[in-house]
Parts: sequence; structure tokens; C-alpha cells
Amino acid sequence: MPAKFIFTNILGVFVFNENYKLVDGLLFKDLDQFDEKEKHEKQIEEKHGSLEKPSGDDLYKILEFFKDKKYLSELRKKNIALTRVSVKDSVNNDLLIIQTIDAVEELNRTINLLTKRLREWYSLYNPEVSNKVKDHEKFVSSIVQKKKDKLLEELNIDKNDSLGAELKEKDVAAILLLASQINNHYKLRSHYEKYLQELEKETCPNLASILGVTISARLLDHSGSLKRLAEMPASTLQILGAEKALFRHLKNKRNPPPKYGMIHEHPLILNAPRKNHGRIARALADKASIAVRVDYFKGEFMGDKLRKDLEKKIKNLR
Amino acid sequence: MIAKSKIFEVYEDSNRRNIYTVNLVPGKKVYEEFIAKQNNIEYREWDPHSSKLAAAIHNRCQNIFIRKNDVVLYLGSSTGTTCSHVSDIVGKEGFVFAVDPASRVMRDLIFNLEGRKNVAPLLESANHIEKLAERVSLVDVIYQDIAQKSQLDIFLKNINVFLKKQGYAILCVKARSIDVTKKPKQIFNDIKFALEKTLTIVDQRTLEPFQKDHMLFIVKKK
Repeated sequence: MPAKFIFTNILGVFVFNENYKLVDGLLFKDLDQFDEKEKHEKQIEEKHGSLEKPSGDDLYKILEFFKDKKYLSELRKKNIALTRVSVKDSVNNDLLIIQTIDAVEELNRTINLLTKRLREWYSLYNPEVSNKVKDHEKFVSSIVQKKKDKLLEELNIDKNDSLGAELKEKDVAAILLLASQINNHYKLRSHYEKYLQELEKETCPNLASILGVTISARLLDHSGSLKRLAEMPASTLQILGAEKALFRHLKNKRNPPPKYGMIHEHPLILNAPRKNHGRIARALADKASIAVRVDYFKGEFMGDKLRKDLEKKIKNLR
Repeated sequence: MIAKSKIFEVYEDSNRRNIYTVNLVPGKKVYEEFIAKQNNIEYREWDPHSSKLAAAIHNRCQNIFIRKNDVVLYLGSSTGTTCSHVSDIVGKEGFVFAVDPASRVMRDLIFNLEGRKNVAPLLESANHIEKLAERVSLVDVIYQDIAQKSQLDIFLKNINVFLKKQGYAILCVKARSIDVTKKPKQIFNDIKFALEKTLTIVDQRTLEPFQKDHMLFIVKKK
């Protein structure tokens, strides 16, 4: 009986006749051969003349042929090997960006928490500094670098007027240990932010130039990958991060729909008058959506042009 | 006392509060489940809070139609919680194809089910039938638990190609991932209607109180 069907899977190329009996075949030794399956299929087709690919009932019978102890254990081996390779290959810059932005956000939270504790603790010893220096980073670095006397001198406060208690040296050392630890956290964070910038320059330069490094990284984190972000319509991108408000609106139309999500932290929106926030968010999301598509398909850098268009548009708003 | 229950290869204790499967790889846990030993046989507790199939059994599902020596196509395996119990049920002679499109959970799945000789992990979307056809065989049972809007289409497509005639398929429907604005009851009715066109519905279970707004359908291919 002449051969009729050709079927390829990860085990090899198989040729079946009309009665679904195996006539000819070629077993793949490794996954590289599976990647070049078209080449092998051609070779076999030349040998047998015209062969057709099975579908419908024919495919059913052929798949039934592989439901056999012998083939199943082979399928397992090949599937494990292939899955291992594809898990390995699935790591890309998107995932690195996501991990980095998550690390930065977690550092932020830790720093805030610890600095609050430090301010309380240090105020027992020297409350004037904590009272006068409001900026966290400045406060931590100054108490690490300078002694109490000098700090008070800079703030023009007499040493004897200070409300702080006189602590023993080892008590002060304990406080300063925490301060130096927080200071290291700040250094780590600025290092990661620089690293994030480099990553985004490679992966999504257009998006980063429009939305800024942090917001574009957050959008990537939220959507999962650059591909998914590129597939989104601009209106989805606009309200990413405002899901709660969106679903509240969808369930009950009396609630207004959200105008913006994470995008709201962009300086163009924050610095605009309140009534324009929604309009600017829409324009910004439009341009960001174009930018992320250009990035996904590895197009040229056009961030400057998009940004200029955007600024022009915002200027015309009343 | 752990004894046989009404369902094949699933065991229950005397007060019928917990269900168990025989551990295929003794000494190895998959998730943080409780392990019981009796007459040198190791049983793993099947937690209804983390597995929807177990929740259906707790809600008095009479038969899950997965038997010893079956070949199962498991769509949406995630980290392998339910998948490991299915692997326990089908036993050494059976086989499970565990399919999931996310590489993050596939990494955990590979580690979790390392010792099981009857599970093959596949990093593939259940929507790509042509690609799946290159990696699986015909199967006796399809189990699907994916939280996608198109979960019904995917289910029907897979049944059409991979399920043997007279074979059974299990579908977990998450109403909230189909449409949040509709009422779950309405969605389940629509799905029931769509399934009845081509298949026979054998059983239908809500998963309350373990899972909210979920329904488990068991169907038979004509």
C-alpha cells in the first residue's frame, strides 16, 4: 500500500499509509534536529512523492498510534529536554527590568520604615537635627558623617541648649550602626536606578524617553512583558494600575471610570492644572503606546519626536 | 484509618473529612501537604483549598473519571499541586502531560515533579493546537483549569483533537475571568448550553466554599 500521510513531532518524522500503519520514519536524535524539521520533511517527501499532512480523523488515528508505552516514555524524555531549554531561553531583559524595579520599590519601603525608626531613636540623643532636616537621605548621611557637636554648630544651636540626652558611647554607636546600614541602602538604590536606566536603553529606549525610567519599568512589571504591553491598546495602557476603579465602574455604571493609572505620576500630568489631567493622560498614553510598539519591533529611536509632538499637543490644551 | 473511597484510587479517613492519594514517590512532598503512613503505604492529603478537583470531591462528586493507567492531558498545570495527585491516581503505568505557558511556574513544576516518571512538563500555550500536536499523543482524559477569557474555546478545541472517543474531560470554569460584569449563574448556564451542543454533560459541581464563583463540569465525548 502506498504511503499517504506525513506527520512530524518531537520524536521524528513518520510516514503512514492509508490504514495508518507505519511505513517509513526518521527518529530525531536530539532537539537540534527537531528545529530543522522542515529539512528532514523535505528529504522524506522526495523519497515518497506526494504526501499529505493529516487532519481531522486521520490526525486522530495517528495520535492514537503514539498512545503507546514505548512512545510515551520517549515523549517524556524529549518533552523534558525541550521544556528545560525553553525555560532557559525565556529569560530576557524584560524579566531583569521587572526584578530590578521590584527591588527598588522594596528598598524604598525598607528605607522609609527604617528611617522612621532611626529618627525616633536618634531624637533621644539629638532631637534638633531630626526636627530641622526634613529630607530623609540628607538626614541619614549627615548623622553618619558628622558628630553631634558639629551638627548643632551648623544649625546655630548652643550645645547646652540641646534637648537631647547625654548617651554613653556604646549607645550612640548602636544608633549610628543603623544609620550607616540605611546609608548603604541608599547607595544600593541609586546603583540599581542607574542599572535600570542602562537596561531600558537597550530594551525600550522610546518608552523610557517618553514616560521616564521608573514609570515605564512599573508598566512593564504590571503587564508582565514588553510583548504584552505592546499588544495593549493605548486606552488600556492609560488606566493600567487603576483596575479597582475600572471594575467598580464596569460593575456599576454610576461610578465614574478612571482617567489614569500609574501614568499619573508623570511630571507632565502632575504639573498641569487639575482639569487637564485626564486629557494629558490620554495623549501621553497614545504616544507611549506608539513608542512601546516601536521598541517591541526593534525600530529606530524616535522618542524625541514623539515627545515634541506631545508637548505641542499639551500646549494647545486650555 | 485510611480506607478506599467511592472514587478509584482516592482514599478517605474514617470520619470522611480528608481525602488522600497514594504517594507515587514516597518521602517527597510537592506542596505543604500532610503525609500519613499506614501499613507501609504513604498517603498524601489532598487539600480542597488548593486543588479544585479535591474541592469537587468534597462537594460529593461521585466519579472523577480519572483511573489507573490513564493518559491525561492536563492544561494549566501551574506549579503542579493538583497535577501531582492526578499523577498519583494514574500510577506508574499511566501518563500525564502537564501544559502551562508561563515559564515562572514551569520552573517550579519541573522541580516539584522531578521524581515522577509519569509526568511530562510542556511549556506551551494550550491555545496552540498545532504545536501541542507535535508533543502529545491521544489521551483518555483532559483536565483543564486555566483562568482565561477564552477557556471554553480552548477546551473544545483540545477535546476535538486530543481526546479519544468516549473519553471524559473535566473543565474548571472561573466565572470572574470570563466576565466580571455578568452574574456567575448566567455564565455557567451559557457554558452548559455551549457544551451540550457537542458533548454530554455527566456532572456539574460548584466549588463553594473552597473556591468562589467556580464551577466544575465533567463531560463525555460522543
